[in-house]
Amino acid sequence: MALSDQFPVGLRVLVVDDDTTCLKILEQMLRRCLYSVTLCSKATVALNLLRERRGCFDVVLSDVHMPDMDGYKLLEHVGLEMDLPVIMISGDGRTSTVMRGIKQGACDYLIKPIRLEELKNIWQHVVRKRWNECKEREHSDSLKDTDRHRQGYDDCDYASSVNDGAEGTLKAHKKKIGPMEDDNGELENDDSSTSKKPRLVWSVELHQQFVSAVNQLGLDKAVPKRILEVMNVPGLTRENVASHLQKFRLYLKRLSCVAQQQVGVPHLFCGPLEQNMKFASLGTFDVQSPTSGQIPSQALAALHAELFKQSTGNLSSSLMDQPALVPSSLQRFTCFPIEQGAPFVEPLVKCQFYTSKPFSQSSMYSGDALSFGVWPTNSLGTAVSSGSLEGVGTQNTDLFVDVSRQQQLQQQPLLPETSQSSIVQPSCLLACSQPSRNFQGDGGVGFVNHDSSFSQSSFIDYSMAARSNNSSVAVRQNYDLSACSPHGSASQSMSPCSINTGGGTSQQDQSTTMASAATTQLLRLAPDVSNVLSSCTTKSSQLLDHGSLANIGFAGKGSFFP
Amino acid sequence: MDVVQLLRQYIDCKTTLFREGILDDQFTQLQKLADDSSPSFVVEVVSLFFDDSEKLLKNLTQALEQPVVDFKQVADHAHQFKGSSSSIGAQRVKNVCIAFRTYCIEENLDGCLKCLQQVKHEYALVKNKLENLLRLEQQIVAAGGSIPPVE
Repeated sequence: MALSDQFPVGLRVLVVDDDTTCLKILEQMLRRCLYSVTLCSKATVALNLLRERRGCFDVVLSDVHMPDMDGYKLLEHVGLEMDLPVIMISGDGRTSTVMRGIKQGACDYLIKPIRLEELKNIWQHVVRKRWNECKEREHSDSLKDTDRHRQGYDDCDYASSVNDGAEGTLKAHKKKIGPMEDDNGELENDDSSTSKKPRLVWSVELHQQFVSAVNQLGLDKAVPKRILEVMNVPGLTRENVASHLQKFRLYLKRLSCVAQQQVGVPHLFCGPLEQNMKFASLGTFDVQSPTSGQIPSQALAALHAELFKQSTGNLSSSLMDQPALVPSSLQRFTCFPIEQGAPFVEPLVKCQFYTSKPFSQSSMYSGDALSFGVWPTNSLGTAVSSGSLEGVGTQNTDLFVDVSRQQQLQQQPLLPETSQSSIVQPSCLLACSQPSRNFQGDGGVGFVNHDSSFSQSSFIDYSMAARSNNSSVAVRQNYDLSACSPHGSASQSMSPCSINTGGGTSQQDQSTTMASAATTQLLRLAPDVSNVLSSCTTKSSQLLDHGSLANIGFAGKGSFFP
Repeated sequence: MDVVQLLRQYIDCKTTLFREGILDDQFTQLQKLADDSSPSFVVEVVSLFFDDSEKLLKNLTQALEQPVVDFKQVADHAHQFKGSSSSIGAQRVKNVCIAFRTYCIEENLDGCLKCLQQVKHEYALVKNKLENLLRLEQQIVAAGGSIPPVE
């Protein structure tokens, strides 16, 4: 209440732009507006930050053109995972570009150079979004107790000034997605003492149930009401399902659009790599999809379901299918709550992004359970627990060296395109090359990582730190260019290797899993899923050398998996 | 040199910059953003801009020297340069970048090379003038004078 008069003072803005000049200018302008500003020069860093500090930001300002991740991808992630308003900024003011931004869900699109006056108004997007959500909630929930205690928010009382009637709901919404103490981690129902229904977070299991339900009903016939019935999850509302379904459909649609593009596989799961033209030219990854290259949404949904089904099951096999195959945009479904105290677990999403970034690895960054996207064993109760990873690891270690690298990568800026092109080979490819535990990784696959190494190191340090403390990391309130400070040490060896967050145990496992996941992912693109799967699985234990892997069709050139 | 002379030079420099379109209104916006808590804001931003630009120019040059030119990448660099130059108000640089991008899309190597030359030239010009302007500012302040407020 105290601060409500001052709204929008203190609005917490996260700015993402790779251009340091622009960042600085925006920072100054936003400060002038009396907003609280956090800067990021890398989209991946920003995403991590958003995940780690949920509820700490009100709005995101993101550039469209960024080297490590396309602004639209970030937009999508933020929209799905955190549901924050995102405002795009770009020097490109063409109607088509702006249209794309809006269609993809951006609340607004500002054209550079940005003026102070434009920034003064961004708070409206925050309010509008909250208001709409609140209205949605009003319809679905019965407002029991409108006066929720404010949790975790010092300065969010502006919500109440905006919407007295649904005060409780707004607060509930803004309530920090607190400790997911739930055993099954499905619904974020916090203590029953608090009346407002907390924001639902779609955990892996929940999503899996959702997908099964959709498949059972048939995508065309899947209506929220029926899905709800089939899922039979207490506390889940029709509205929750409806909005999730909408997102899911969009996601599937994007998948099928992407599949149509000749760029093929990499595109699906390495979102940020727009510069995959070179990739395509390698001819290695033509998506072997049926007919026109369009993957029917039903098939996608089924695929998705299968992936998820397995993901909760036995790790070793499930890892294969894991959401790895799921294109990055789908990952949103899998990476949910940021658990506290599970510093090293990264949502799968992240992993998926950079599968195409092979690294000459070095030891997996041990702490990298993180990147692996393993769900914490804690409250979330997701199937994949770090413990189980170990089991998998033994099987697949060799395969996944690189994949884990990728995990690492998520935290890092994507390798510059120029160096990337040749590396586009699926991570799994790389993985195969290195049978040794040491992840010497220089195998035939030829991963280059010069540029990346430097950025990696800087990045990794940063992210590692972040992981361990879950704190502001290198991202200080004001300036986070950490990830972008070039090290210049373009050495081949992965300096990151030395980064060792000490989470070491399941490190190999993770990498293994990831690698297999990546492999599977790549393989999956072919319609002949089961074939791929089985070959993958059976070979996993044998995939100790590059040669075997080559059998799978990865020889680095020529046709991709059938 | 006394403050009065410095001030005169400063005003001349500034007027020229705007009259010749080297700088545009965006720069004025930046000047307005400087305040007590960040008095050297403009200097800082301009320095960042110079750093960024040097890198971009280097990248552009390298990209265009390749045996097989990756026009998309060149376009990306040009786009970036356009963004930063427009943010700082370096109008002429920005305009060249716009043309530059068009040539990239057309994959017109000659056009690109010409633009590269042009952008280097414009950049050198704005750099020179801005450095001059900022130095004069410092000198004026050091001599006890104050900069006329931005209208």
